[in-house]
Amino acid sequence: MLFLQFLTTGVVTGCFLILATIGFSLTRRVEGFLNIAHAELLGVSAFATWWLNAEMGWHVVLASTAAIVFTSVTGLFVARLIYDPIRERGPAVLLITSTGVAFVIGGVIDALIGTGIRTLDIGLATSYEPFGIRITNYQLMVVALAVIVSVSLALFLNRTRTGLAIRAMSGNPELAASRGIDVRTTSRATWLLSSGLAGLAGVMLAVLATLTTDLPFAQILQVLAVAILAGLGSLYAVILSGLIVGIAMDVSVYWIPAGYRPLVAFSVVILVLLFRPEGLAGTRAA
Amino acid sequence: MLLKRKRWLRLFAALMALSLIAASCGDDEDVATDPPEEQPDGEDPPAEEDPPAEEDPPDAGEVTIGVLVPLTGELGEFGAIVADAIEFGVGEINAAGGTQCGTIRTVVADTGGDAETGIREATNMIESEGAVAILGPTSGVMVALVDLAKREEVVIMSPYAGTITLNELGGDFVYRTVSSDLGDGAASGLWLSSRGYESVAFLIQNEESTISPAEVARGAVEGSGIDITDFVVYNPGQPSYQAELTTVLANDPDAIFLAGGQESGVTVIKEAVAGGFDGEWLFTADLAVPEIFGAVGAELINDVAFVEFADADPSLPEFISFEERYDAAGDPFAPNSFDMVTLVALALEASGQCDGSGVNSVIRGVAHSDGTLVSTFAEGKAALAAGDSINYEGASGPLVFDESGTVSGAYTIQQAQDGEWVNVEFYPASTFDG
Repeated sequence: MLFLQFLTTGVVTGCFLILATIGFSLTRRVEGFLNIAHAELLGVSAFATWWLNAEMGWHVVLASTAAIVFTSVTGLFVARLIYDPIRERGPAVLLITSTGVAFVIGGVIDALIGTGIRTLDIGLATSYEPFGIRITNYQLMVVALAVIVSVSLALFLNRTRTGLAIRAMSGNPELAASRGIDVRTTSRATWLLSSGLAGLAGVMLAVLATLTTDLPFAQILQVLAVAILAGLGSLYAVILSGLIVGIAMDVSVYWIPAGYRPLVAFSVVILVLLFRPEGLAGTRAA
Repeated sequence: MLLKRKRWLRLFAALMALSLIAASCGDDEDVATDPPEEQPDGEDPPAEEDPPAEEDPPDAGEVTIGVLVPLTGELGEFGAIVADAIEFGVGEINAAGGTQCGTIRTVVADTGGDAETGIREATNMIESEGAVAILGPTSGVMVALVDLAKREEVVIMSPYAGTITLNELGGDFVYRTVSSDLGDGAASGLWLSSRGYESVAFLIQNEESTISPAEVARGAVEGSGIDITDFVVYNPGQPSYQAELTTVLANDPDAIFLAGGQESGVTVIKEAVAGGFDGEWLFTADLAVPEIFGAVGAELINDVAFVEFADADPSLPEFISFEERYDAAGDPFAPNSFDMVTLVALALEASGQCDGSGVNSVIRGVAHSDGTLVSTFAEGKAALAAGDSINYEGASGPLVFDESGTVSGAYTIQQAQDGEWVNVEFYPASTFDG
């Protein structure tokens, strides 16, 4: 039973990692670089939710919605202001720049929020024990959102004109442009979507965790681990790798000290890459 | 006290991602390719040096002391308390006419709890501002500054750096007006052993400053025959600590000893209570702030939560006098901070030298001797002018530096009652003698 409890916790951790990584991978797939500042967008959303909910008195659902929209627009704004002008310099320069953007966003959050801890004005989690396995309503919410986001994103990318354009761009930008796809509009839609997904992950971070200005960026290594395991491209593989990393980390506590959880995450990544260097998705993203 | 060093993650993440780009080059057809000459070589761009502090240069009749504290980050609230108490002390010193080197001038810098920033700011304070002493660094910053302090012959002193690393490194130019973390462990162990628990679980943040005292507490608890159900060392910065709590909750201990920071601590408390834990808690100093009640929910910890921290002896006349003069005397580490700057000023007055070397040479004698007992700078200055040696009795208690430049400490246990921390036990330094 104890093992099943660890497994359940691992699934929840994996679902959070899916939410935190899926937007990151979308950016990587379409824009062609690793946006390190993605983790700070979680912070933008988390603290916007906190401010609207705990300081302004908004209901948490309303505050979360507004925060996600704000984060989405912030992500697009940063892309247009910072990344678009240097796009032709290539992914390495964009990557380094995104690290600088992470510093700037983190610094602004530091300046605006200040010191100490922040929590949302929401009740204590309610625990349920189906079949003797303990799970809280907030954990169930993370799982439900991960499922909804995954299904919705799959439908969006396969059934809508914008989604198909995003897929085409991620496959071959030059070919997509030559076939009449509006690259600029598609790029902006991607930024709105990926930043909005970061916003959703940030909301869940605020719901689950105790916020400090350092906390959002502390998630970047696990986000990178999941993205690497997925193959840095496929969105479906992100779902699988998020679950693998989350379950591996939490179930490992059954046998080894909890302080080694991050080590387990990266050990899994290294092991997989040894046998499958291109990641779970293979060379061709799904 | 914990030290937060998260900024390295940004650079580490960038390096990691860069290596991935290099590794995956050619494998991924989706990647927008660049000409080879545009790839970076994987090295960090050179960091720009911060400009010198913008304070005015010292006048001829001034002596400079650096105040190096975390004003941002998780420990920012503690840094502000320390900086304010130092400024109060400087006000008293200057009101008494200043030292024989002139009035005290402070230069304040924020470390954010980061050692690298601390070294940069300390170097600036010494080389550009001519600081003779640097007061207020947290544990990690203190350890990082040891070599600099000894090389530049500048005294560094902390009111809250309990790290046991300084038990080995401190003593010459490196001092603290707070006891070692091992003392916290002894006090925590004493409290846990006295409560009649049959079982206790330990949840310890993965930091040297929490693990070492927790090991001391574990020894005391085990020595009392109490069953330790779990000794879990966890990493901070997680959205949730459910995995770490799984076995702890399954074993249903009578109490949990939680040695963690505010970020992890609050989440752990909420998740444990939501998971059905209804026993008692003992927290460490980082959670000894009123903000905890708002963050956790006072109703969850009222009557069942206790916190242990190094504290001044409130019955001492020196503390009572300090409390009458300074409104924020009861803030954590405020008396220790006041003592720090007063000691340095008295050492400047006593040494006849206006540099760190002079302070270092006499500070132990100023803090503890057979001379005239004083508790303020004005009293000490008058006694020194009369040709007496002095023995400074601090607001935080007697200040007798051991070989490592550390003082013995007293500890307070407070209980959560009606949304605030209330004293329920006090362990004077003599409790732990021998």
